[in-house]
Amino acid sequence: MEKSDEKLDRVINLLRNTKPLLGSTVDIEREVINEISKKHQNRLVISDIIDFLFGWAYIGWVRRSLITASVLLVVFFVWQQGIIIKQINYLSSQPVIVESEARSYLTDFSGNKMMLFKLFGNKLPAQNVTISKKQMDTLLESVNDLQTKYKDLIDLIEEDPELKKYIENKLTELNRTKIKL
Amino acid sequence: MNRQPLKLIVLMILLIVVSCDEPETVVTNIVHADGTITRKIEMRSLQNKFDMEGLQVPFDDTWTITDSIEVSEKGDTTWVKRAGKLFRTVDEINHSYKLDSGANKSIIRSTGFEKRFRWFNTDYRFAEIIDKKMEFGYPLADFLNKEELGFFYSPESIKEVYQNGPDSLKFRVFGDTINYKTDLWMSKSLVSEWIGIFSKLTKSKAGDDLSLQSLKAREDEFVNTLTRNEQNFDSLWSGGIMLRELIGEQNALKFKTEADSAINIVTNKLLLDFKEYSVRIIMPGKLTGTNGYKDSSEVLLWPVKSDFFLTDSYEMWAESKVPNTWSWIVSGLFLLFVLTGLVIRIKRKG
Repeated sequence: MEKSDEKLDRVINLLRNTKPLLGSTVDIEREVINEISKKHQNRLVISDIIDFLFGWAYIGWVRRSLITASVLLVVFFVWQQGIIIKQINYLSSQPVIVESEARSYLTDFSGNKMMLFKLFGNKLPAQNVTISKKQMDTLLESVNDLQTKYKDLIDLIEEDPELKKYIENKLTELNRTKIKL
Repeated sequence: MNRQPLKLIVLMILLIVVSCDEPETVVTNIVHADGTITRKIEMRSLQNKFDMEGLQVPFDDTWTITDSIEVSEKGDTTWVKRAGKLFRTVDEINHSYKLDSGANKSIIRSTGFEKRFRWFNTDYRFAEIIDKKMEFGYPLADFLNKEELGFFYSPESIKEVYQNGPDSLKFRVFGDTINYKTDLWMSKSLVSEWIGIFSKLTKSKAGDDLSLQSLKAREDEFVNTLTRNEQNFDSLWSGGIMLRELIGEQNALKFKTEADSAINIVTNKLLLDFKEYSVRIIMPGKLTGTNGYKDSSEVLLWPVKSDFFLTDSYEMWAESKVPNTWSWIVSGLFLLFVLTGLVIRIKRKG
């Protein structure tokens, strides 16, 4: 065991004392210089790209044009968004209907239509007049309502002789204004 | 006094045949960003009767049609017919309107679609248009102000909400004012239309007293005579009394045929055979403008009634915007580029 330990120590000492042979120092020098210059080149490429991209910043008319274009773009954006917000706000203020009402609001008993029926009643072609169930219901409800109101009104007039006389006078006046047949 | 019940009584007497088989129809236009339109028609009826001749909006076998039955809690049965079709362009819809042989074939309907590129957004506009029936009628805007016009065109449900709400009295008076003004509008338009058509028919034969200008100058007088005698207008007209009052005895005798033809044309225009329905539009992107009424999910709704397109074209329109994501990115990059350039310049200068 002691012998092998001695042998190992001797080999280590021998290796420590043996200097490496520098056969190609020129190659080593070149490698080092290349590594250094590579780093320098990289820095140059980034700088070139920046110069290439933003070189316009040093040309007055290009710089001014691009700034103007940017400002116009921002102004256009603000203006457009402003209009949209205004329109949306206006729409939000409008009344909202319930979806189910899409089908239920069709009750076209407008006043002027009644006037036309009165004027041209006999010109309505038979079997061409159609009304919906809802319209029919409204009509019947209105007739009932009118009958009740009419009865109340007649009672009221009958009970008051002055009112009766006044209404009779008004009706006579109204008839006078019409064309005499 | 509430005039509506009285009017309803008159209507009831005048109604010769009453039919309750008209389906309640809703047309939905789903507008897509590429300009195609999915059109859906939903018809509900208390009878299983959907005659093509009686339908408000045209559709044919090329549509996908489904039938179903709905029974309410009360046990009422409703037959529902649904039809849907994808249209490549509005021209296809317009073509189908031209070929319409349904209940509303007498009115001229069309649709329009516009798509405009606006850099940050693309604007869309879709419209359903019904041409006006009267040539010489007065625009409704001459009689109603903006607020009244809004009320006039609004769905009945909205009117009811106003008229039964906290300001009910105000809105009931408002409604009566509108009724009065629209009566006047209708009378004036009727007379104006009759004058226009009558003067066209008598152009070469009549003297100066029957020229368009002379008749127009007497328009208010005609309107007064008409409104004074609206209850028995029919008998006065057919007896020739009304015409004699308006244009004199000699002219009334000479141009009776023309006057009758003119009144018939006007009558046909006013009492046109039209069945109501409603239109809905769903736009792509964010809704930015419309003259319709929207629900909570931004689906737009319009009632379509015959009064709406008598003297003015009735246009149901909607506008929306869809943001162009790529243009936002391009603009952002451009601004960043310019800003960076300026920062670099300032730094190097410093």
